Amino acid sequence: MSIIEAHGLTKVFRRPVKREGLGGSVAHLFTRRYSDHVAVDGIDLIVEEGEAVAYVGPNGAGKSTTIKLLTGILVPTAGEIHVGGVVPHRERNANARQIGVLFGQRTQLWWDLPVRDSLGLLRDLYDISDADYRARLAQFDDILELGELMPIVARKLSLGQRMRADLAAALLHRPRVVYLDEPTIGLDISVKDRVRAFLRELCADGTTLMLTTHDLGDIEDVCQRIVIIDKGRKIFDGTIAEVKDGFARQRQLHVDFASPVDPASLAALLPEAEIEAGIDVPAQGPHRDFTLRFDRFRLTAGEVMTALLSVGEVADFRLDEPAIEDVVRRVYAGDLRLAAEASR
Amino acid sequence: MRKYLTLARMQARSVLAYRLNFVLSLFALMFQLFAMLAIWGVMLGSGRNLNGFDWGHMRAYLLVGFVCGALVSQGADFRMAGRIQDGMVAVDLTKPVDYQRARFAEVVGGAWTELATALLVCAGVLLLSGPVPWPGVPDLALFALSLVAVLPLKFLIVYMSGLVCFYTQNYLGVHWARLIIVSLFAGALVPLSFFPHWLQYLAAVLPFASMSATPALIFVGQLHGGKALALIAVQFVWVVALWLLARLIWRHAITRVTIHGG
Repeated sequence: MSIIEAHGLTKVFRRPVKREGLGGSVAHLFTRRYSDHVAVDGIDLIVEEGEAVAYVGPNGAGKSTTIKLLTGILVPTAGEIHVGGVVPHRERNANARQIGVLFGQRTQLWWDLPVRDSLGLLRDLYDISDADYRARLAQFDDILELGELMPIVARKLSLGQRMRADLAAALLHRPRVVYLDEPTIGLDISVKDRVRAFLRELCADGTTLMLTTHDLGDIEDVCQRIVIIDKGRKIFDGTIAEVKDGFARQRQLHVDFASPVDPASLAALLPEAEIEAGIDVPAQGPHRDFTLRFDRFRLTAGEVMTALLSVGEVADFRLDEPAIEDVVRRVYAGDLRLAAEASR
Repeated sequence: MRKYLTLARMQARSVLAYRLNFVLSLFALMFQLFAMLAIWGVMLGSGRNLNGFDWGHMRAYLLVGFVCGALVSQGADFRMAGRIQDGMVAVDLTKPVDYQRARFAEVVGGAWTELATALLVCAGVLLLSGPVPWPGVPDLALFALSLVAVLPLKFLIVYMSGLVCFYTQNYLGVHWARLIIVSLFAGALVPLSFFPHWLQYLAAVLPFASMSATPALIFVGQLHGGKALALIAVQFVWVVALWLLARLIWRHAITRVTIHGG
């Protein structure tokens, strides 16, 4: 059995419908009307031990709701979930022992106590032995520089400090499955890097990781697998490499010629590429700046360069590699229908 | 068990972070106490006796009511309601603890400040208005036993009213309704024997009298021996019954969890 197994997972929220204005609110007191909102719609998900899965989608796609179903916070409307052989919302305690959860926007530290006391309390909640606790803290201190935070009261921590302390709190009991909901939200680059390095290490130790995030750097740095959902449905499930090869194929080359070049002659040489005038130049007629977009499986960068050099002297150029970011951005914008494209 | 003790200890320390808030909220209770003392002082002045209460007994009765009122008054319900409304309950639900026991542990942990301050106020009142009749050792033991039952009882009432937040998004109304019903039917302001008969019957079948009237009546000597023991038994029966009822409500409430905003 896989560590996470969900079949036909569905969550429907009932929302009161109120008509406009005071009249509408009064009417609502007497005749209640509700509309159903399907937040998660029949999702199947299988995750193996030690996998790091990015769970992404636009705002309101149902990411957080799925995590709350998997962690046992919410009771599903339909479908089945097993995490480590346990049904999370039925065996809440057994499930809580094997999972670690970090909600980036909510702290699990005790607001009025120093970080040290919060961690001490968690040690007791999870029955962690003193030796193990000390070893774990030493490890956290190395990566998250936790030592300096220990005497500070949680409400006085900065966001970055709080997130580091919260990560430690979520992982103190060596959970088998870790859910991270927006773990790097609001963090600066250096802390982000440290957190990502830490997550990679965790994964290498055999911990299963599930990550929801809007930060695509998190995905590329930490995860091997990506699940994209939209409107409560799974629209893609595969490796990061698959996404890139399948959908992030477009490279961009910015080129700066020494003297103006006619775009028509470039287009004749590179019919496969999309050619656009650079910034601050007329769209028609010869000019020096160009941006070329091309499919990296149809044209190599070498072929493009050869063509460019044959029409004029190249003063400068820059090549943008396709990023997972582009794919996800296009999915969010509705430009790309992954399921439809993949079946082609 | 160790984890609940730790939760209680943590809460005992946390309450100190809000000393000012604590003292201010106690003021409200104190004003209520002083107002009741003033009213009864006039009614029972010059050695008058009403329904078995003279001025000394009435002061003792009101002071016990005040102590019972101070217990679990430090916003355990508001903490819970706030966490349910803003979604922090999600974090609580991912901890390997029983939600109800954990909240009870916190209330027990926080109770020491409530008790200590209430006793301080009592000492002040006694100093200003003279001593009250003191029960003998057997009654005092019964009184202590009865007072012990007040803590879980009050917790359960407060806890269940907090659970209402899973259904309604506004807690303040529930809070005020509870305060009024409890202080009326607990007999904390006016002893239940002053009520019209139908209201006395109603109070007798509700759990609220167990939250204040029972220990207060034992203290002032209106309940002795077997009768006192019977009412203490009623207190503990209510503790068990309400504990189970709260569990039932929780089981239903938890299916209603919706967490807004991520």
